[in-house]
Amino acid sequence: MTRAIVAVVAALALVAGIGALFGHAPGDLLSILLGGSLDETILKTVPLLLTGLTIVVAFRAGVWNIGGEGQFIAGALAAFVAARFGIVAALAASVLAGAAWASIASLLRWWRNAPEVLTTILLNFIAINLLGWCVNGPLQEAGARYPQTEALSVALPARGEVHAGVVIAVAVCVAIWWLLYRTDEGLRLRATGFNPSAARFAGIDVDAQIFRAMAVSGGCAGLAGGIELLGVTHRLFERFAAGYGYSGIAVALLAQLHPLATLVSAFFFGALATGAGELQRSANISATVATLIQAVVILTMILFGRRSRA
Amino acid sequence: MTRLIIANVSKSFGPTRAVDDVSLDVQPGEIVGLVGENGAGKTTLMRIAAGELAADRGVVEAPSAIGFVHQHFVLVNAFTIAENLALAGAAASEIELPDESRLVADLSIGEKAKLELMKAISRHPSLLILDEPTSVLAPTEAAELFAVMRRLAARGTIIVFISHKIPEVLEVATRVVVMRGGKIVAEGGTAEEIASAMVERRRPDGWPRGVPPRIVAIVGVAGNGQSELAARLRREAKGRVAAIPEDRTRDGIIAEMTIAENLALKTKTSPEKLIAEYNIKAHSPKQKAGSLSGGNQQKLILARELDRHPDTIVASEPTRGLDAESTRFVHDRLRAAAANGAKVFLITSDLDEAFALGDAIQVIYRGRLSEPMTPEEAAARAGQLMAGL
Amino acid sequence: MILLAITAATPLLLAVLGETIVQRSGIINLGIEGMMLTAAMTAVLAAQGAHSAAIGFLGGMAGAAIAGAIFGVCAIELRADQIVTGVAVNLLALGATGFVYRELEQSAVFVRSVPRLGFDASVPLAWIVLPALLALLLWRTMFGLRLRACGENPEAVPSVRAHRWTALAIESALTGIAGAHLALMLSSGFAENMVAGRGFIALSIVIFGRWKFKGAILGTALFGIAAAAQYALQAMNRGIEFHLLLALPYVATLLILCGIAGRVRPPEALGK
Repeated sequence: MTRAIVAVVAALALVAGIGALFGHAPGDLLSILLGGSLDETILKTVPLLLTGLTIVVAFRAGVWNIGGEGQFIAGALAAFVAARFGIVAALAASVLAGAAWASIASLLRWWRNAPEVLTTILLNFIAINLLGWCVNGPLQEAGARYPQTEALSVALPARGEVHAGVVIAVAVCVAIWWLLYRTDEGLRLRATGFNPSAARFAGIDVDAQIFRAMAVSGGCAGLAGGIELLGVTHRLFERFAAGYGYSGIAVALLAQLHPLATLVSAFFFGALATGAGELQRSANISATVATLIQAVVILTMILFGRRSRA
Repeated sequence: MTRLIIANVSKSFGPTRAVDDVSLDVQPGEIVGLVGENGAGKTTLMRIAAGELAADRGVVEAPSAIGFVHQHFVLVNAFTIAENLALAGAAASEIELPDESRLVADLSIGEKAKLELMKAISRHPSLLILDEPTSVLAPTEAAELFAVMRRLAARGTIIVFISHKIPEVLEVATRVVVMRGGKIVAEGGTAEEIASAMVERRRPDGWPRGVPPRIVAIVGVAGNGQSELAARLRREAKGRVAAIPEDRTRDGIIAEMTIAENLALKTKTSPEKLIAEYNIKAHSPKQKAGSLSGGNQQKLILARELDRHPDTIVASEPTRGLDAESTRFVHDRLRAAAANGAKVFLITSDLDEAFALGDAIQVIYRGRLSEPMTPEEAAARAGQLMAGL
Repeated sequence: MILLAITAATPLLLAVLGETIVQRSGIINLGIEGMMLTAAMTAVLAAQGAHSAAIGFLGGMAGAAIAGAIFGVCAIELRADQIVTGVAVNLLALGATGFVYRELEQSAVFVRSVPRLGFDASVPLAWIVLPALLALLLWRTMFGLRLRACGENPEAVPSVRAHRWTALAIESALTGIAGAHLALMLSSGFAENMVAGRGFIALSIVIFGRWKFKGAILGTALFGIAAAAQYALQAMNRGIEFHLLLALPYVATLLILCGIAGRVRPPEALGK
């Protein structure tokens, strides 16, 4: 807990420092940063929660899934294509697509010993370009003016700005907690992450366990992409993922890999992202400061803990 | 400074007093055999003498040129013999290994031990400490080592030879010092006197032997293929298999998970019941398994594995590093499991343990097993078989 | 044509050489992507500021050194997890360079054309002289022996941290030059996220090359030729989609990683 608080303080101090460099009073900056609209914050929290859970599940199993970005895109693409069959089909497709994209990496790891830390990152780049091809080609809007798709006619039900994806995301969060801490499967998953050789001795099929963990992990990221499509953007375009996959790492580490804490952590980063946008509008400080904050949070968390998974 | 003077040295690790007010004075040319059971404080004392550890109390005066051959080798497997020697700054040595371009990974364990010795000797130390050097040597290799030790001692080197094998110590040492519980308890004497000074208890004898043999003890010097054998036994066993791994911290318990979680990996019995039944010293099932002592960790593994009433048990070095009480507990449990119908394979490098438990004894050497022998037959032949004769 | 491919792949080779040395000392530096990105930016800033490409290269090395120092403090001194530290360094570089880029966009620093070096001796230097020197260092000196021992069994070496820092310093210099080369010679200045995954491709080639310099040269050359083929395809076949071809290098790298199977043996202490 202390680590998390220090990390948050360090990140905010960083923003204040940058602001001071550009001649802004720290107090003003922080109030803008933390005073964004609640609706927008919730909208940003949803994908961050799910990509955060992606990392939680993977790291707890001892797997380096840095491919949240690509799995997010895969999920969104699948949801777009399946949307004609309804919302449920679209969401289901997004989960499966995310799981499948992640499973490419776990397959290569199992079959060829290819380190998943690299394959998942490479798959991110491939997914980004796949998306670029789709929105410039086969899925492009009818008028072919912009690199984006048509708007979907189906969407998640919403009250005002906030869509039903919030409920889904929170439900998934609880489900992941329950999976990790109340089921045998979760026990085995965590054991594999802590000590794979002891897990093997205890009769756990480590390879199969990692496959399953990666699938669940990728499924969460894929769902995030599907929800983002069906609830917020309603169409696909280049730069759709906008770093949500990588942001999940900071979210998960700040929550010290606990699923329920990830909810709080995602809300914090959601607020930051909203605030960063506001900072750009009113104080003309680039929104990339959000990426800097994530990096500072990650560094602070691992420096104090010397241990960032399982 | 050519003498080794240890004066009133004490050292504790937390609540454990590893070395308790020890004094020792060794002259050049002496070969001191430092004997004791596991955990008696021999290694800790010598690490203090070598300057690797700082004593809590007391004074050490030692020569500046010290060579220490540790139990665990510090070799680079991917390098050649020559490169390892160069890395250690070794000049020409009086003992040699043939073909120094071989990779260390390809050497036998006896050759690796020899390489470690070469590294230590080549700096011409005035004090040479050898920690259980013969634990991985066949008798002929051990004899070679003793010859080297005598030559060095004749030239004025102080040699301290840590071991728990009394016959060897008696063969080469000019002085025998016995440690127990962190103190020096005796010096010199006959083999029986030394043995009884080392231990506080006598091992039970005359346990009814099972016919057909339910406990097969496979004994051999470490590094002769025991791990591969254990894996094969686990694979080929029928029915429910329980595995007690050789390295309990790496393969046995999951240190970061609680006692209850470790147990839940294999059994549904309530953790409280198992903690009581197996006498695990812990204040709560929610305690992290890594915080348990070695003996209690082993009990945890036993609880997890034996609670399911397995048909086969493959136990590798199950009492390594355990104190007397824990060792007794493990032996009793294995015997009980065998009496209940399980087939037990005990893989150990401890001859005493093999004789204490085994209904039948086989010797493993370079991956091959001898034919099964009764304890009486083994008493006569085991030593030769372990050396490959 | 091949010469063009080789020239274009020179920054990649420098990164591969640097990371090979660092991994031989037992450290995985995923942050090499961020180091190159930082170097690209500082190189442009320095070159524009001093109106000299040579100063630009020095600036690049300085930028990489800063990112490298952050990585080193966390991974070598404080023994934090190396993978996550590398990811954090990449994010830090991405955020910092993006931030600076947008702040300075108004001042048109990045719009003016950058000074270039008069000559380009980079190819023979990088592909022949440098690997030869590094190989000599690593396999024919006591320092190199100890450095390699750090990656196999650090217990056998007294001053592990010093050796690893030296390896990191060499990597920083090489990566700095690579980033500068990328920005000043091969492109026309800085663009956001311009490194585009070359760092991760470099990491993959290190594995492919079995942590040896000969392998590094071979792997990078093969990759460079494949990448050049991609550009040629783009020029020739307007039918084949631009974006799919963009994905080719990454697919190729995936295949490279598949080609290693189980027979590859990394330095024993890598990443621990």
